[in-house]
Amino acid sequence: MTLALAICVAALALLPLGYIAASTVDVGWAGIRELVFRPRVGELLWNTSRLVLGTVAVCAVLGVGAAWLVERSSVPARRVWHVLLVAPLAVPAFVNSYAWISLLPGLDTYAGALLVVSLSYFPFVYLPVAATFRGLDPALEDTARGLGLSSWAVFRRVQLPQLRVALLGGSLLVALHLLAEFGALQMLRYPTFTTAIYDQYRATFNGAGATMLAGVLVLLCLGLLLAELRLRGRRGYARTGGGAARPVRPVALGILTLPALAGLAALVALALAVPLASLGYWMAAGASAGLDLGLLGATTGTTLGLAAAAAVAAVAMALPTGWLAVRARGRVATLLERSAYLGSAVPGIVVALALVTLSIRATPWLYQTVPVLLAAYAILFLPRAIVTVRAAVEQSPPVYDDVAASLGASAPDRLRRVTLPLLAPGIGAGAALVFLAVVTELTATLLLAPTGTTTLATAFWSASSALEYGAAAPYAVVMVLLSAPATVLLSRDARRGLTT
Amino acid sequence: MSSLTVTDLTKSFTTTPVLTGLDLHVPSGSLTALLGPSGCGKTTLLRLIAGFDDPDAGTVALGDRVVAGAGRSVPARRRGIGFVPQEGGLFPHLSVAANISFGLPRRQRRDGGRVRELLGLVGLGPELADRPPHQLSGGQQQRVALARALAPEPSLVLLDEPFSSLDAALREETRLAVAEALRASGATAVLVTHDQAEALSMADQVAVLRGGRLVQLTDPRTLYRHPRDLDVATFVGEAVILDADIRDGRAACALGSLALERSCPAGPARVLLRPEQLRLSAPTETGPVARVRSVDFYGHDSRVWLDLPSGVTVSARLEGTDVPVVGDAVTITVRGAVLPFPSDPAGPQHSREGTAPAGTFLDEDVSTEPARVS
Amino acid sequence: MTHRLTLPGRAIATLVSVAGVTTALAACGDASGAEKLTVYSAQHESLVRAMLEGFTDETGIELEFRDANDSELANQIVEEGEASPADVFLTENSPSIDVVDKAGLLAPLDDATLEQVGEEYRPDSGTWVGFAARSTALIYNPAEIPEDELPASMLDLADPAWDGRVGIAAGGADFQAIVSAVLALEGEDATREWLTGLERNAEIYASNTAIMKAVDEGEVPVGITYHYYWFRDQAQNGLIGDDAKLHYFGNADPGAFISVSGAGVLASSDQPEEAQRLVAYLTSQVAQEKLAESSALEYAVGTGVASAEALPPLEELGAPDVDPGSLDAPLVTELMQEVGLL
Repeated sequence: MTLALAICVAALALLPLGYIAASTVDVGWAGIRELVFRPRVGELLWNTSRLVLGTVAVCAVLGVGAAWLVERSSVPARRVWHVLLVAPLAVPAFVNSYAWISLLPGLDTYAGALLVVSLSYFPFVYLPVAATFRGLDPALEDTARGLGLSSWAVFRRVQLPQLRVALLGGSLLVALHLLAEFGALQMLRYPTFTTAIYDQYRATFNGAGATMLAGVLVLLCLGLLLAELRLRGRRGYARTGGGAARPVRPVALGILTLPALAGLAALVALALAVPLASLGYWMAAGASAGLDLGLLGATTGTTLGLAAAAAVAAVAMALPTGWLAVRARGRVATLLERSAYLGSAVPGIVVALALVTLSIRATPWLYQTVPVLLAAYAILFLPRAIVTVRAAVEQSPPVYDDVAASLGASAPDRLRRVTLPLLAPGIGAGAALVFLAVVTELTATLLLAPTGTTTLATAFWSASSALEYGAAAPYAVVMVLLSAPATVLLSRDARRGLTT
Repeated sequence: MSSLTVTDLTKSFTTTPVLTGLDLHVPSGSLTALLGPSGCGKTTLLRLIAGFDDPDAGTVALGDRVVAGAGRSVPARRRGIGFVPQEGGLFPHLSVAANISFGLPRRQRRDGGRVRELLGLVGLGPELADRPPHQLSGGQQQRVALARALAPEPSLVLLDEPFSSLDAALREETRLAVAEALRASGATAVLVTHDQAEALSMADQVAVLRGGRLVQLTDPRTLYRHPRDLDVATFVGEAVILDADIRDGRAACALGSLALERSCPAGPARVLLRPEQLRLSAPTETGPVARVRSVDFYGHDSRVWLDLPSGVTVSARLEGTDVPVVGDAVTITVRGAVLPFPSDPAGPQHSREGTAPAGTFLDEDVSTEPARVS
Repeated sequence: MTHRLTLPGRAIATLVSVAGVTTALAACGDASGAEKLTVYSAQHESLVRAMLEGFTDETGIELEFRDANDSELANQIVEEGEASPADVFLTENSPSIDVVDKAGLLAPLDDATLEQVGEEYRPDSGTWVGFAARSTALIYNPAEIPEDELPASMLDLADPAWDGRVGIAAGGADFQAIVSAVLALEGEDATREWLTGLERNAEIYASNTAIMKAVDEGEVPVGITYHYYWFRDQAQNGLIGDDAKLHYFGNADPGAFISVSGAGVLASSDQPEEAQRLVAYLTSQVAQEKLAESSALEYAVGTGVASAEALPPLEELGAPDVDPGSLDAPLVTELMQEVGLL
């Protein structure tokens, strides 16, 4: 039963990939040659790859540098910096992009795009690297210093190799997010595959042109996943010897303290202060033109409702998969879990494109309805739910069920008194993460929202696309406020929910 | 309280047989240890008794009441069997008091007196009642788990390796507390363990399991002194095994001519003696002379590894601090009789003589060398 | 590591479940059987809403809008076919409604409705009708380029001299409609050649408003767009800026193309009468006057209805003669894909 459910979930997650594959076969070789092997695709490939490479490099430097300063150096107010460095995640990339371009219209260049997306995405590297730094045994570093290594040599020869898994994982996240990024880059007039697919979609709805571009984009994503797997090799380094970790003795910065503080302050200013100030400015400008609180409230309500429903759906879908992954470890369970992860590595635009077409053709009664939109959200954000549900199931081994049975509890009793209370924290955390991701989802919502349904993200988008920056600001502000709790969750536990 | 009777119990997982026709009787009010190496089926047996799994064949009866087999399967929750899993298995979301009262009828769950009484039974103070389980030590968790299992006054309590995760000092203390609580409650108990010292010290009777069958069921002393075969002998304690020739009611072996514990047909045999039966003295001309190879000094006693002229290495347990040093030549005398096992040409042939460490079966890979000598 | 439910975690979990139930209830409450037309609309939201302001009060028919881009909605309706939830389709430009018409998905309109609009603003088929019109124009920044150096024809913008100096919104339906006029007037080869030149020369913007802004700020000297973007900005006292000026090509140049916004009733509609009433209303004197009075500054097409005073009369703009029912949107998409503008 659980297995059957988990298979259904995996099948749903793989639906967009299957759709792209089937359409590719449908289009045929001649069609592929015509639609894929053309200068425009080459241009997009060049644009996309140089932006991905550049952003990953910038994020790696910013993320690792900031993490080292916060976790290993004597820089003052380290906890405050930690929160400030995670906080940019509360500003969706397309809001950040809006904040910048509305102030500096000249940012519509490669450098501008690189700047804006790097500022949005560097926390994806910072968070796991900082968490790894915290877990590293300082005894190793002390030993290395004892062997005569300088701080730089310690970083390069001792710490960096141990950070590899976190750095690669963070970089993969940056790259996958960037491949899927639509709003931020569209606003910056920087064409990549995702924005081109959207243009194609607008020109042809679900034409072969859009699908073939989506095919190339999916190949890029899969390529990235494979590359990360190969580079990562075996799963990190085991910490030898148990025992409590000794407290870290931070590296004294001395005369470098001021430059370090200035660097961190500049990063936070660019990544957080600029977008917030810009939002504040447009908020004030928009308020003078009149703020429709009723409409804002209704849109917020719709968004929260959709997000809550998606959270419930995603967690319900994550339960069988997460359960099997722990309780029935083996090839089948792993395969099912991986399928879910693979499915959500597909960019939102592709998932939406697939679901629009499939729902028209296969399930017309579902077409343009909330369930299809929820299915897209579930596919996109399922891993967040699976990761947390899985952790919760691990916290609840079958022995509790056995004990409760031996104490006379019936099956429903056991579910109520033991299993659910044990899974509740994981389910709650997973639901919260999905909830907050949906609140700021733009791309899939643009394509799949039922007629008459407007969310904060799409309302923001239509106003800002019309360059009505003041009218767009309130929606952005609500999204930022709603995202803030997720940021708190993430700054506490880096590993949870950082999957795409 | 009731007795437990297991008859001809059989269970396979996919194609691997785990239990093959096992019989076991646990008298009411007694504590029986199920002793065996990992993979012998003891945990499976426990789960079948508890009702977490169903047997393929055979029956489980509590007193006169058949709870599994013969076409019926009473669900675990109706068997009235208490269960203490490894590491306690305390519900992490419930306080100590709520854990203990989990199996009580709803009305009694709020009865603080009952909880205090049960905490007292397992030797814990009432101040622990409101703590969450993760604030308890491992030993305390085990005791709370026992209190929880005893709360509904089960007819039988099953304990699955309850002490294996505790460190040595805590283990001893927890064992005593658990044994006392079980005795005080008068419960019939089955304790699964792979630790022979635990089985011998705690249980009224020990059931040795091997390959899904019961090999021997008897009280600890008999088990140690009269194991059914050499496998059981080595499993329940350190053993010195020597090839011997039985003649005129005595065994001729590398340690000389030794008295027999029981009669044995003449001819080739193997004899079992325990290291504490060996006595060492200054070399004389009467006994066999051995050379001290190494000494493990424990304080209260020592193990002395000895090379016999025949090339066999045996160990002796010596009390006190008057211990020979490496290289000394000593004469070995044997106190008491040895237990003979006629060589069975069809049975397993153990190639090497010497000392086997406790807790191993001979037909597994047994090293007769002291581990630290290389 | 024990996994404990923190207070915020509990709060969020509760919020999620409450909101989930609320949504479910709201979804149930929505299933009332009131008359409601689904309108797929690619025209500017504010304009359509203003024109239809009195419709629901007058008829009791509720309206639900799906706002998107011309081609997207047209292709969507074709893909949806008989199952389309749309009752009425409103486009910003005529090529898209033509796509739906050619797929045979439009029902004939009532004669009375057709007669409310001038013949030049509707096709002979009688399956759709124009409800607004707009003229192609060139916006330029006099500080960057003097008026006498402006091109004589829009086709000249493909010339290498214009490299990097012209702004277009290639992904937008407006520009694609303008291309369809070039295609209708100049033929496929000339259009391909023009697009190839533009692909090299043009700065691509996301919308006409963005072009307006870019020209105004001198980022790019000229931009191809529709007239009303400039007039609207003028009406708002140059909110974006008042540096940019407007230039009409005239002389029956493809750059003087007048694009018609079309309205049609879907043959698959399950409320055909109500849908016909909507289109009739949209082309009626009431709605057309609303259009003329609105801040949209598009041209009214209702017989006898005058457009906004600020606008030069449509007849004086020297538009080329293009049959609104003859524009080929799919070929435009294909050509734009071919040259790499899409």
